[in-house]
Amino acid sequence: MGVKDLLNRLKQNKEDKSEAKSHYLTGKEVREIAKANAKEMRRLEKEKRRKVPQEEFMSQMKDDNNILEIEDLHSYFFTDQGVVKAVNGVTFSIPVNSTVGVVGESGCGKSVTAMSVMRLLQGPTGQIVSGSIRFKAYDYKRDQDGKFVPIYEKDENGEVVQEFDPKTKKNVPKISGYEKVEAVYDIAKMPIHEMYRLRGRQISMVFQEPMTSLNPVFTIGNQLDEVVLLHIPGSTKESAKKRSIEMLNMVGIAMPERVYASYPHELSGGMRQRVMIAMALACEPRLIIADEPTTALDVTIQAQVLDLFNDLKTKINGSILLITHDLGVIAEMADYVVVMYAGRIIEQGTALEIFRNPLHPYTQGLQKSKPTMKSSSDTLYNIPGNVPNPINMPNHCYFKERCRSCIDKCSGEYPCMHQVSPTHFVACHLYESKED
Amino acid sequence: MNQENLNQETLNKDNLNENTANLQEVTAENCAELNEEAVENPTESEFSNFNDEEEAQKEQAELDKKAQEDMLLPPDPDAILEVRHLKKHFVLKKTLLGKPLSTLKAVDDVSFVLHEGETLGIVGESGCGKTTMGRTILKLHQPTAGQIFFRGQDIAKYSSKQMRSLRTEIQIVFQDPYSSLPPRSTVGGILAEPVRVHKIVPEDQIKDYVLKLMESCGLRDYYYERYPHEFSGGQRQRICIARALSVNPKLVVCDEPVSALDVSIQAQIINLLKKLQKERKLTYLFISHDLSVVKYISDKIGVMYLGSMVEFGEKDEIFNNPKHPYTIALFSAVPNPDPENKSNRVILSGDIPSPANMPKGCKFHTRCPKAQEICKHIAPEYKEYSKGHFVACHFCEEGE
Repeated sequence: MGVKDLLNRLKQNKEDKSEAKSHYLTGKEVREIAKANAKEMRRLEKEKRRKVPQEEFMSQMKDDNNILEIEDLHSYFFTDQGVVKAVNGVTFSIPVNSTVGVVGESGCGKSVTAMSVMRLLQGPTGQIVSGSIRFKAYDYKRDQDGKFVPIYEKDENGEVVQEFDPKTKKNVPKISGYEKVEAVYDIAKMPIHEMYRLRGRQISMVFQEPMTSLNPVFTIGNQLDEVVLLHIPGSTKESAKKRSIEMLNMVGIAMPERVYASYPHELSGGMRQRVMIAMALACEPRLIIADEPTTALDVTIQAQVLDLFNDLKTKINGSILLITHDLGVIAEMADYVVVMYAGRIIEQGTALEIFRNPLHPYTQGLQKSKPTMKSSSDTLYNIPGNVPNPINMPNHCYFKERCRSCIDKCSGEYPCMHQVSPTHFVACHLYESKED
Repeated sequence: MNQENLNQETLNKDNLNENTANLQEVTAENCAELNEEAVENPTESEFSNFNDEEEAQKEQAELDKKAQEDMLLPPDPDAILEVRHLKKHFVLKKTLLGKPLSTLKAVDDVSFVLHEGETLGIVGESGCGKTTMGRTILKLHQPTAGQIFFRGQDIAKYSSKQMRSLRTEIQIVFQDPYSSLPPRSTVGGILAEPVRVHKIVPEDQIKDYVLKLMESCGLRDYYYERYPHEFSGGQRQRICIARALSVNPKLVVCDEPVSALDVSIQAQIINLLKKLQKERKLTYLFISHDLSVVKYISDKIGVMYLGSMVEFGEKDEIFNNPKHPYTIALFSAVPNPDPENKSNRVILSGDIPSPANMPKGCKFHTRCPKAQEICKHIAPEYKEYSKGHFVACHFCEEGE
């Protein structure tokens, strides 16, 4: 090896190292970022805890057929390395009685979108910065004091049935239920303590890990009853138990009494996920968010759970927001598909459009890189490179470095959403020219 | 007849008890259904006086005898790996004298032959013993019984000292790239260590050797001095693969190498594995629960259920002509990424039974849609259905 070679190599090494170290921050820089973040976080946290009249977070739906409309949602994480824009301007809506699938690789912000809808982002780092999430709830009506308006049970003559109350030892009118009214809330503007009226009751969530989302020290029955007791006004222990067992029956558990009395560790993964689904359905929510509900399960159990979801959708008359990274699951379940990449939606449309006519190079790549049971080719298509660093995202298309059909325009601004058909949208410069 | 019915009932009760122990809700239903069938079934009397325990012992003795005979045969000279009646049982409870009270049969009588340059894909649900089998072949677990021939030598009886020289021939890639790399050494250190220990190249050439290896695995050379935590999952899996290949092995056991990775990264790793196989003429034992990945990479496929191989054969044969009801159900359960042709799924009821408390007879009878009375009592033989296609089911007769 000559001296020249050695020098060359040293030079190369130096360049490589400087490239490699570009994402390291000095202590001073970190402190500056943390200081700026702290200010912003304090402001947002204060907003979360403010007390406002109900009118302030009431809203109107743009389209009455939708149950949920997310518009230009920004959810950020204020870390000491910089602001991670986990959800960066996401807009989509869920029509009544349909399943919307959100698909993307890990770290693309699909779970954060779901968590934002539930207002479950881990504060103070995780915050909804801007945007609106409008949800059409079928909530209990409240009078001026914030109390529920009861409906009294009436006999044939139209008179209110009286019932003996052992506590006050007096006859009181028998309550059959409480009045409900349709209301549209803007979840992003709601103070956090007002979320209790929606969580569990109107929107419920099924998490990925059935093993860790059940409490190991309480029986299944205990945990199921709690949901009913908390959210259905006027329910007693007996009615809660009745409801819990009914729910267990509904999700296809053949011996509900037995499961009711058992502890989570006595059940298998599939059974636990069924219990989680029963819990989510206990209050007849209008929207179920399923965050990777089958990822931790085996294929045969996954088939059972997916079947159950399809079955229940018609039974409870609700909508499902299904989050997964498995394109096969999406194809089986979803009516509409939203493809996310690095915090943004890159393509959305009906399931048929996305699977038959994928337009964005990333969607195409995702579909081609997944070996299927039917396909057979020698080399698998692969998308080169990795998902970009979520801190300091470039100004141009995030997929540019990995894209194989890049054009000159791609170095410019981030492409905006382009409508291809009434339901099909894509964010890519390749399809812009047709319209211009 | 009355007496017979009574016997029948007690038998069914036994079955019920056994199932409820595992809290398998729907199996009970199945049993009930089957009972109804059984009443009409004329072969009922055949099994009503069946003494399960006695028969099971007899059966076991017969199987053992057969296994003993099989084991005397010379190994297949063309095979790089031949596994015969491999068993790995874990003792869960012991009596005071150290006699095993209850055992978990993680791998129970598995046999197969693997030729050089081939890829054998092992599929099955979690808890079916695929990983234990892979590790037993590497002798990371001491097998309970059976033979493992690696290039004609029976390594099942090798001591760990004898195994050390074979470590350069057989290597493993683990599932989780996040926990299988030492956090305190650099990539260069991780890759150089096996080379140094096994004296693959002289000391002064190690760095060049490692850099060359890194290049072939798609790792940039400036990664040499970096630590594992600086890499993403896909890059770490590349490091794991490079580490396994650093000693020039002939057989690589890939234990779910892509399960922890994203779809687009999965494709990169699978392509890398295929490329390396072509370049280095490697033989893979590819363990995965993802059927589409296994289908893509394998030449032969083995389907495992509760510790035993239920079906084994060439890839095309297994996928085009699956015979075992479990294989059929497993294949149909894979979601099809095509919204127009939603697959007609065979949905299995219930869960996989606990391997510590296996069902009697055919292990699959508690979930099998085809199960009959015979399946509850007699375990089916694992036999050749057509050339190179083995099935363990009562209802797949040869040349059917």
